[in-house]
Amino acid sequence: MGDITFKKYLEELKKHTPYNFCDYSDNSIQRRIEKILKDHDMDMNQLLLKTKTDDDFVEKLVDDITVNTTELFRNPETWEYLYTKVFPSLRKKKSINIWHAGCSTGQEVYSNLILFNELGLLDHTNVVATDINQKVIRGAKKGEYDLNFNNRYIEVFDSLMNKLGNKSSDFGKYFEMNNAKDTMKVKDFIVKKPKFRRHDLVEEEIPFYQKFDVIFCRNVLIYFNPELQLKIVRKFYDKLYDGGVLVLGTHEALHGFFKTKFIKHGMVYTKSNTFHFKYK
Amino acid sequence: MVKNKPAYYKGIVIGGSAGSFSLVTKILSRIKPDFKYPIIICLHRLKHIRSGLLEGLNLKSNLSVVEPYDKLRLEGGKVYLAPSNYHLFIEFDSTVSLSTEEVLNHSRPSIDHTFFSAATSFREKMVGILLTGANKDGARGIKDVHNKNGFTIVQDPKTCDVDMMTKSALQLFNPDKVLSPEEIIDFLNSL
Repeated sequence: MGDITFKKYLEELKKHTPYNFCDYSDNSIQRRIEKILKDHDMDMNQLLLKTKTDDDFVEKLVDDITVNTTELFRNPETWEYLYTKVFPSLRKKKSINIWHAGCSTGQEVYSNLILFNELGLLDHTNVVATDINQKVIRGAKKGEYDLNFNNRYIEVFDSLMNKLGNKSSDFGKYFEMNNAKDTMKVKDFIVKKPKFRRHDLVEEEIPFYQKFDVIFCRNVLIYFNPELQLKIVRKFYDKLYDGGVLVLGTHEALHGFFKTKFIKHGMVYTKSNTFHFKYK
Repeated sequence: MVKNKPAYYKGIVIGGSAGSFSLVTKILSRIKPDFKYPIIICLHRLKHIRSGLLEGLNLKSNLSVVEPYDKLRLEGGKVYLAPSNYHLFIEFDSTVSLSTEEVLNHSRPSIDHTFFSAATSFREKMVGILLTGANKDGARGIKDVHNKNGFTIVQDPKTCDVDMMTKSALQLFNPDKVLSPEEIIDFLNSL
């Protein structure tokens, strides 16, 4: 499969569907599409035809192209930093706005809310969470996860609570474990809190009027080329209050212009209102 | 087939499992300090040990070793280690793309992924080296490097602690060279 055909396919996909993957990282998106061709035993022309004529297939395609890996309390050190250094400073605000952009199946949204509950911040917090993939949004709303697969997060949770000095808090406060069904379900008082909705960061305007105190966008930008990354980070920048923070994945970084507009601490980037003469 | 030696290499890609750590350390401690090309290393990590590998390598290495951030551009004479829990891909413009997509061959990072993407982006301007390992990950990837005319080296299974990785590769294709660790070091220093 030549490079031209694959780029051409992405252009056709953009033309015939609501989805635009043209500015995803070349090598990565090409590989995802090659995998889809292989899994469905199709060639490029068959894929294109199916894309143009079968809407359900397109939704499945988006599910296959996008990456939905996430974890409860992913990178505990980040949560520790947020809990001790960032979240407490939100206490003085009347209401706190949080956005999880690219929330996948919701594990980080719930990790966030559990810590907010520990800090007594839950009641005056508004959380919105978005993802391009309809299917993961449905999963996120349920807040029910495979127990066997997620068992190790009990340990992560305990060690985090220990470090944070909340030894009395246990996992059972937040999750209903069902060994027979092999599930763990986030309890209702947490599950009902976030508003999940489908939203495509790349193609759609940001659907919120409010500004945010914290935007989580973890391991999403890595799938975009540098130009698209810049475009999305600009949107985040505009949507953050001064002093608001953007939380990225462990090995993501801001490049170019916006590198100067945030103060970096690990994977937590604080919007700086410092006057940058060069750019004004 | 005898491959023509290219005028330069865009990268040297080395894959191995957790057990190859000491060998990689040895290679990096013996490589000449003015080595010209970028070296990309993909090692399987032990799940619960997330740090220490980078520090360990840097302690002994003659070249500086980093765990790259997404979209970092590769530079000659530097060593790039695939970060824990991310796949590392090489883009056409010699930048690194990271991904958290599903594990491949039970591995993330997966050596196959790094080899496949490097083969696609570097073509004949690369050397792929597969070291000792207890998993088939890496075998199909280095074969792809070979198919796209990159130069391939597989560690001689006789010198491997665990030879599953290298034997799997040798069942799939004939690499340009099968070498002992000492010979791999000499080869790299002759580039």
